[in-house]
Amino acid sequence: MYIYKTGIAQVDGISGGIEAGTNILLLAPSMSSAEQLAYALIKPVPGEFSIVLSTNERAAEVVDFFKFSGCDKRFVGVIDAITKSSTPGIADTPRLMFVSSPTDLTGIGIKFSNMIESIFEGTFSDGESGLFPPPIRFCVNSISTLLMYRKLEVLYQFLHILTAKQRKIEGFALYLLNNESFDDRTLSLIKQLMNGVIEVKVDGNDNYFRVLGLKGVKADWLKFSVNKGQVTILP
Amino acid sequence: MAGIDDMLGGGIPRGSKVLYSMEPGVNGQLFMISTIYEALAKDLSCLVILPHTTVDAFMHDAANMRGAKLELTEKKIAFIDMIDRERIQRSAPTRAAAENEWRARITKLCKENQVEVIFGYFDVICEDFGLEAGFNLFAAHNPGNSPTVILEHLNFEGDQILNRFIDTLSFDLVISIKASFGKQPHFNFFTIVHTSWAPLQKRAVPFIISNGRIVPYIPKIIVTGPPESGKSTFVASVSERGQSVDRPGLSGSSTTVAMDFGWLHWKDFDITLYGTPGQPRFDLLFPMLLKNAMGAVIVIDATKPDSLPRAKHLISLVQERRMPMVIAANKNDLPDRMGEAEIRTALALDKEVPVFFISSKKKDDVRFVLESLVDFITQYPY
Repeated sequence: MYIYKTGIAQVDGISGGIEAGTNILLLAPSMSSAEQLAYALIKPVPGEFSIVLSTNERAAEVVDFFKFSGCDKRFVGVIDAITKSSTPGIADTPRLMFVSSPTDLTGIGIKFSNMIESIFEGTFSDGESGLFPPPIRFCVNSISTLLMYRKLEVLYQFLHILTAKQRKIEGFALYLLNNESFDDRTLSLIKQLMNGVIEVKVDGNDNYFRVLGLKGVKADWLKFSVNKGQVTILP
Repeated sequence: MAGIDDMLGGGIPRGSKVLYSMEPGVNGQLFMISTIYEALAKDLSCLVILPHTTVDAFMHDAANMRGAKLELTEKKIAFIDMIDRERIQRSAPTRAAAENEWRARITKLCKENQVEVIFGYFDVICEDFGLEAGFNLFAAHNPGNSPTVILEHLNFEGDQILNRFIDTLSFDLVISIKASFGKQPHFNFFTIVHTSWAPLQKRAVPFIISNGRIVPYIPKIIVTGPPESGKSTFVASVSERGQSVDRPGLSGSSTTVAMDFGWLHWKDFDITLYGTPGQPRFDLLFPMLLKNAMGAVIVIDATKPDSLPRAKHLISLVQERRMPMVIAANKNDLPDRMGEAEIRTALALDKEVPVFFISSKKKDDVRFVLESLVDFITQYPY
């Protein structure tokens, strides 16, 4: 089974990385570095692909992050649920797809399937890795925004299907959720769909994370920073 | 969607309630878009309710999918979109007030435009008001002149919710659109789950999207039969493109040693034909060739009674797969051909298996056989 490296020794150390088919909820307060951490974790290494479902920033900004992180943007796809509301005529490309709003779960589902299909068919970008199934990292940034547009019960069903698809294609997926904005029921319902949780907290100017539920990974709080897509564990 | 209209006995009767139920992730939005284009092409007055998107974004997406702009000049079409929904949400203090506001807007537009077809993207409405109250917003605006209601719904709940549309809301047509998703090749298929006007069997038909159209797709029809019965000629006559792998046979004519392959687009179906070798030494290939086939044509030489035991054996292999099958009795133009009764007895055919007398050199004959088989496939009680 494929193992997704995170580049963080404390996470990769024992099991070698994240097992294929893993879904992780990234719980974080606002004003933390959670989004940067998420992008750093789903940055594709050579031979992999990444897809971001962006509900709170434009595709161009997401792609910029990956570009400045030094990874090959040909292997990064973005499903953008923001831009089309202001630019209705914007056209899809194989790696940048647009849906009208975060309300449009039909559109999001279709674009996700289309992107996965093009990766499997080898039409997503030139220089395919040849690995099968192709390793795909996926990130939703964030569930919080989707929850503003759709009811929890509907979103739960949508995520249930999305997480099942990740398992089927042996991907690795991260779902951001602001843990300050939602009640315990919401958090626990969404946690049910996940294999593990990464919690982020902010103490003063410092960011910390801990990993819960992943085999062989200690649940200690780790102080971290993210610079150019690299996560550094600080003393 | 001509192929689908044929399956439905000509299309959707006016005043019907229609559901396109989409599984998450399936690329099936063109069902709704095609129906909107068709309604406008027939000069029907339409109301399109888009609570998930704006009119501009919808028009752009529709043009992209269909490959042609939605021409609105002189067409009667009205919209309620995401911006309207947000206005209603902001202005209505309660759910009941929002429901009333929706109903008032829909009724007003229906009356003003004498709307004949309402198209609704339903899942957001359903989420806001529930299934029955949500649907009631679309119904009964003009007593005595009910518009056709066509809904697209993102279905998270499977057959359970389809049964509610059929049993509780008395929908006339329910088409479920699904897709495979996994490590195998992806494909889409639709199932006509229910029609109120025709006793159709529930069946799944794969489809592809080609040039902005939904094209029902029959990925595999097997053409088999005894050696030198005319299978290769049958495939070649009916196909727009094809290839046969032949060698000279003992009788001097060529015989197929690998397979015949043919493709045709016909009656809005894309169809791929696989002709098998007829000789017993190739029987090892037969189970593989039959795998995932949707139907079979058994070609026999109507002038050679001694070839029928071989045909009977091949028929038994096809029958094991419970797939639709037709018999093409070839060389009808030659003297001393057998009669239908003789063939039926020799092959021990069930009475529902049709026998067609043809000359496989005649395009019209083979197309007629294929037409019958496609009808058989789309109406077969699997």
